Amino acid sequence: MAGALAMAAALPSLAGAAVTCAACYGLGALLLARFDAPLRPLERFPLAFLLGAAGLHLAIFSAMALHVAYRPVLILLLLGLIGGGIVADRSRTAGGWAEYRSLESLAPEPLALEPLVQITCGVIFGCYTIFYFINAWAPESSPDGSAYHLELVGRYVRAHGFEPVTTNMYAGLSEGVEILFAPAFAIGRHSAATLVHFFFTVILGLLIYAYGCRIGKPRVGAAAAILTYVSPIVGITGSSAYVDVAAAAVVFSVFYWLEIWDGSRDSRLLVPLGLMAGYGYAVKYTVGVMLLYALVFVAWRARRLKPVLAVAACASVMILPWMIKDWVYLHNPIAPFGNALFRNPNLFPLPEQEWTQWLRSYDLANKWTLPLQVTIYGDKTQGVIGVAFLALPLALLALRFRAGRRLLVPGLVMLAVYFANIATRFLIPCLPFFSLSLALALESAGPLLALLVVMQAFLSWPMVVSQSSARYGWHLAHFPIKAALRLVPEDRFLRETSPGFELARMVEQYVPRGERVFLLNGIPEAYTSREVLVGFQSSLGLTLQDMLATTWSEDSQPTRMLLFRFPGRSLRRVRLLQTARLPAPQQWSVHEVRFLNGGMELPRRPEWRLRAFPDPWNVQLAFDNSGATRWRSWEAASPGMYIDVDFGREQQIDEVRLETSPDASGVQVELQAMERGRWVPLAGRPDQRKITPQGSLGRAAAFEFNARGIHYLLLQDGDYSADLVQDDPGEWGVSVVARRPGGILYEVRP
Amino acid sequence: MDARTLLFALVLALSGCRNPPESYAPPAQRQPFESFKPYAALRIVDMAAPGANSHFIQDISSKLENGAWRWTDKRPTVRVNPNSNLGLTYLIDFATPEITFKKTGPVTIAFYVNDHLLDRVRYDTAGRHQFQKPVPPDWVSAGQNTTLAAEIDKLYIAKEEGGKRYGFVLVRIGLLQ
Repeated sequence: MAGALAMAAALPSLAGAAVTCAACYGLGALLLARFDAPLRPLERFPLAFLLGAAGLHLAIFSAMALHVAYRPVLILLLLGLIGGGIVADRSRTAGGWAEYRSLESLAPEPLALEPLVQITCGVIFGCYTIFYFINAWAPESSPDGSAYHLELVGRYVRAHGFEPVTTNMYAGLSEGVEILFAPAFAIGRHSAATLVHFFFTVILGLLIYAYGCRIGKPRVGAAAAILTYVSPIVGITGSSAYVDVAAAAVVFSVFYWLEIWDGSRDSRLLVPLGLMAGYGYAVKYTVGVMLLYALVFVAWRARRLKPVLAVAACASVMILPWMIKDWVYLHNPIAPFGNALFRNPNLFPLPEQEWTQWLRSYDLANKWTLPLQVTIYGDKTQGVIGVAFLALPLALLALRFRAGRRLLVPGLVMLAVYFANIATRFLIPCLPFFSLSLALALESAGPLLALLVVMQAFLSWPMVVSQSSARYGWHLAHFPIKAALRLVPEDRFLRETSPGFELARMVEQYVPRGERVFLLNGIPEAYTSREVLVGFQSSLGLTLQDMLATTWSEDSQPTRMLLFRFPGRSLRRVRLLQTARLPAPQQWSVHEVRFLNGGMELPRRPEWRLRAFPDPWNVQLAFDNSGATRWRSWEAASPGMYIDVDFGREQQIDEVRLETSPDASGVQVELQAMERGRWVPLAGRPDQRKITPQGSLGRAAAFEFNARGIHYLLLQDGDYSADLVQDDPGEWGVSVVARRPGGILYEVRP
Repeated sequence: MDARTLLFALVLALSGCRNPPESYAPPAQRQPFESFKPYAALRIVDMAAPGANSHFIQDISSKLENGAWRWTDKRPTVRVNPNSNLGLTYLIDFATPEITFKKTGPVTIAFYVNDHLLDRVRYDTAGRHQFQKPVPPDWVSAGQNTTLAAEIDKLYIAKEEGGKRYGFVLVRIGLLQ
């Protein structure tokens, strides 16, 4: 009885995913009915699902934007679309059947697989599908899934719509799949969302096979589908609340629609093509490149501008909502990137630069090792695509065929953007193209292709991967059937499998509703409803993190003073101009700027006007008399950066002091005064002095936290400074609220 | 596109632009909290921590690998400064990677606090390891520099890299309290 009750707890997640996926298909069926695309049943299902997903994403976006995304609204929307899909399917198979059949005949006749191939492929596909399904059904514990994909989804669901999330850079990314997670999450919580992504994984497999059938080569389709589907990175990603496999399915569907359009030249098909190409951007920025491919392809084949414009217009319907959302909330339409171009107070350029640089390297010293890294080891790039892809150079043999050339070009386009983030999962959108090309190239060598497929299926089996050289990469390792059925309670499973889950629950338990908690490193935020502010994820977070670092890192403390002395003058406006060009990450930092006359500091008056470039929003940090705060350029130091003070009236000054830190030692500062509308030098090179910070920097930092409404601090074992704070919480202006293995929650009271 | 549509689009686009703020007044002035205490000395040296190098005494690579760890030579040693000598536990997170383990076989590592031998442990498998053991209070003086070391008995000498020496992979070392 208890077991049955526990298992009943597992059903909402299934229901949430099932209703969401059925609604995707329903809407897709409705839309397809308008285009009369010459589709076979085999390809109709996955293409309808993906087209419906694109449409549903817009519908939910609208509900979120209007703040009407209440649970009943979402459920009604889904049920309505399911009903519409049923009607569309009925009319297709009744009144519209004859026409449908005639259109279907435009495509080549499907060829049957040999029984042995059918059974082999069926067994492999079935076994992997069961494994993936159980993993997806189990409580969600993936790193990014539980840290931000579902955290943001949960946040929107709780708020019944979008919120301006300015303290989490991931909220700037387009969320075309996450937004589909929202209704599933509203019904069945975290696992429901994961199961939606799992369904995209199945769809991708079906679509690859369907394409093989479309070109009259079902064996190629089946082999390619298995090569991709069983890939370890596809398995773990597709069984988690990520978006990469969905992105791959969308990319491949764009290619698929291009091929269908090219076969019929029916201009109506440019609509689903454009919508899917735009949806790619909505799913993942890097996938947006497929829109460019589609535009070039259509231009090349049609030799007319109108079809290209039609595709672009349809794509913009999917892209613009996300750009507008980012522009309105974050003042940057392509957030979290492009912050040097679209300067804004929410995200600094330098951390973005360091982050994207790291994504391009993952500390992989030698890029030539990348092929082995992503196929065999995966310890640095976080997973493997499978050993079979070492045979990828053979795919070039597919260039002999028109279909091979058509496949390899988009595959290479997606490979080009892979180098923007070399994590193995960013290769997933390439895999359908490469798998099909490889299978096509080896089709004539049947036994070799069969061997490759069976080898990939065997070596990618999770238990085999766990024993191989790829075991340090991200991969499925368990078959958590009891957790999936909730025979093992969700909390217990997550405590055992998700590092940081205990900390998330501690935050939920001890931090009052409406309060924010600051962390240096993330936790599974999807499991707390409190607002978690992680240091590196926003300008505010980085500013707070810098305050903490200033308390314990000598390099960041105000121990250096630049002293400008000059004959006393009456001045109204003065600026400090930075003139050196330094490589990143060296930046300009200023703890305090002080103006003196006759050895006495001028009191800072309300009529003073402070300006700074490039970060104008935090200039007050250099004028607050706190040793724990500093204004920083947050860009590599370059000539032209300045801090500008207008006193509002003439002031007698003979000395300017700039308090700074050793980590800004490379900068060169010139003091200038405004005279008759022009900046002129006011003093020569400054003298340098060593100074001692005033007062307790720990408590000063705590004061600043409080001033910004941050009353809780969670330090995890291994965080810089965690042991220092633990040793003497009082000195840091904090007191212990609760402890859990892995971290301590403090209340901030300076 | 007629002129009105173009104008409307332009106004719409410009309305989305956000000019940087012109200027700010000085904020409320902070007063210092009591006296300044330097906090430069850590009890646990994380290899990835900024400024970690300042705690190294010997045999730790200056190059941070994978953003998390460093290769050691025979006897990596660091300096820490505990503010108490009571209830301290020696902690080290490290790994004996397969690449070196294949050549050296099982290794024995001796752990030292201020050159006092705390323990000696044999590791028969490659992989990640953690060693923790309480430190006798009289080996350490509160507020004084304390050296922590871990000495491996066998090094892997990479002939293909001109005889470069590899000990083990160090993640963090320090004193728990």
